[in-house]
Amino acid sequence: MTAFPSVEWFDDVRDIFNHEDSFRGGGGGQCNCVAGIKVGNEIFVLTFEGFECAGARKASLGDLDEVDFYLDMEILEWQAMIENIRQNGHAGLGYTLNTLDLDRAERLATSVHGDQYREDLFFRYNQTLQYFFDASSRIATEFAS
Amino acid sequence: MSEAEKLGPDYELDLGWMDQTGPWDTRAEEGRNGLTLADIQVGEYGRVPDESDNQTGRPRGSAPRSGSYRIGNYAVRTKSEIWLDNASFLYEEALQRQWSSATDVPWHTIEPLPDDIEQAQCQMATFLTEVEFVAGDVPARWVSQTTPDFFEARQLLTAQVMDESRHMDVFRKRAMANGGGLMAATGATSGFVGSIDLSRDFTEMSARLHISGEGAVLTIFRMGELMAYNDAEKAMYRLCAQDEARHVAYGVMHMRYMAETAPERHEEINCYFDEAEAGILSGSANPAGQAPILSEPLAILLGGGIAKFDEGFKKLVALRRRQIQEYKKRVVSAGFGARFENGRSRINEILEQAAAA
Repeated sequence: MTAFPSVEWFDDVRDIFNHEDSFRGGGGGQCNCVAGIKVGNEIFVLTFEGFECAGARKASLGDLDEVDFYLDMEILEWQAMIENIRQNGHAGLGYTLNTLDLDRAERLATSVHGDQYREDLFFRYNQTLQYFFDASSRIATEFAS
Repeated sequence: MSEAEKLGPDYELDLGWMDQTGPWDTRAEEGRNGLTLADIQVGEYGRVPDESDNQTGRPRGSAPRSGSYRIGNYAVRTKSEIWLDNASFLYEEALQRQWSSATDVPWHTIEPLPDDIEQAQCQMATFLTEVEFVAGDVPARWVSQTTPDFFEARQLLTAQVMDESRHMDVFRKRAMANGGGLMAATGATSGFVGSIDLSRDFTEMSARLHISGEGAVLTIFRMGELMAYNDAEKAMYRLCAQDEARHVAYGVMHMRYMAETAPERHEEINCYFDEAEAGILSGSANPAGQAPILSEPLAILLGGGIAKFDEGFKKLVALRRRQIQEYKKRVVSAGFGARFENGRSRINEILEQAAAA
């Protein structure tokens, strides 16, 4: 069991994502962006380069200034999404990243800089980002109670 | 008996062609993402002229051919008219991120839907098929009018045409896949969308198509995930949104280049944005606009049926706000944000009028 959120959890997902050929087709493929992940007050930064998620690191609030966009949800919302992915093998109808971004008062994907060109990377690489989180269905996750 | 010409024993090869090359001893090296267009921008081959006198179809960097006649109709021969700094990057991205409407959409997940939902879905599919014809036709026209010296931009447009072709077919397939069919043509290709094809130069076309038109459709595609009733519709809209975001990126980056290199055209470009904003919620060009043939099916899909129309309409109003917010931020990113500060843009007023209607 790997705890979410943690660098270890993202590394486990990266390991699956980076070695799964099917994620490179079907609208996936090369992806170049830096994405922040905000889980409550905890911050992580994922770097996508080419076909891979090249790195995951713990970060601070100030680091969000530098990312192209960041995904912001409370821990219970992240938990609901990850558990749904685990149950279905992929995100169910109500839990795809795009759906979560649209179906809530506060956006899932946002940025500090406000540059829509960079925020649009969330849309341009959406299938890859979805594949990344869908890869978490193959690991056992535990959540802080 | 062979018809091949027989050469005599004393025949001498010409070999003159061996002396006529572009810069030689070129060794482009592949990078982390393979041998990309960016990797072959080596020396003289990477030099893009500000003005091109190439009217003969000569590949950039190749040796010219004497006595060659004019080929094509290259009206676009000024770099600032079509250029964007990351054309090569976006082109490679377009190639890498292709998908098949036949096999990458899980069509088997579609199940019978209530009649009102199916009809609304089919009306949207009809509309999107209709507008994607324009989105494919127009860039295609500009490909052939652009000098080969700006091949990066040309190839990106060609990739866009392929994307739009797939969008046409995927929505047509959706209309046919679940007991429905195509509905009434909406007339979306007249008015503002139709005017895209009347653009007199590429920048005018790009302002109308890439930023205004496709920016609006991008929001609709993303919203498609919210009004999808199965994994097939989710995938269909998500994958189209990816492509559309790339096309919007072309427009933003081109406008950014124009803003920096051709300040004398700022006023003209602002006029295109004036025109786009005036029509953004009227007519049938924008499915989130006020025309019932589109706003009603959208509200039905977003709400979950005719009985929940009011609920769906509230979501539609929220969609319009998001659509316009994203449009404004793209215009700012493109270098034309002053229009929202100096009172030129009426977009907020237009939005409030639509919300109150």
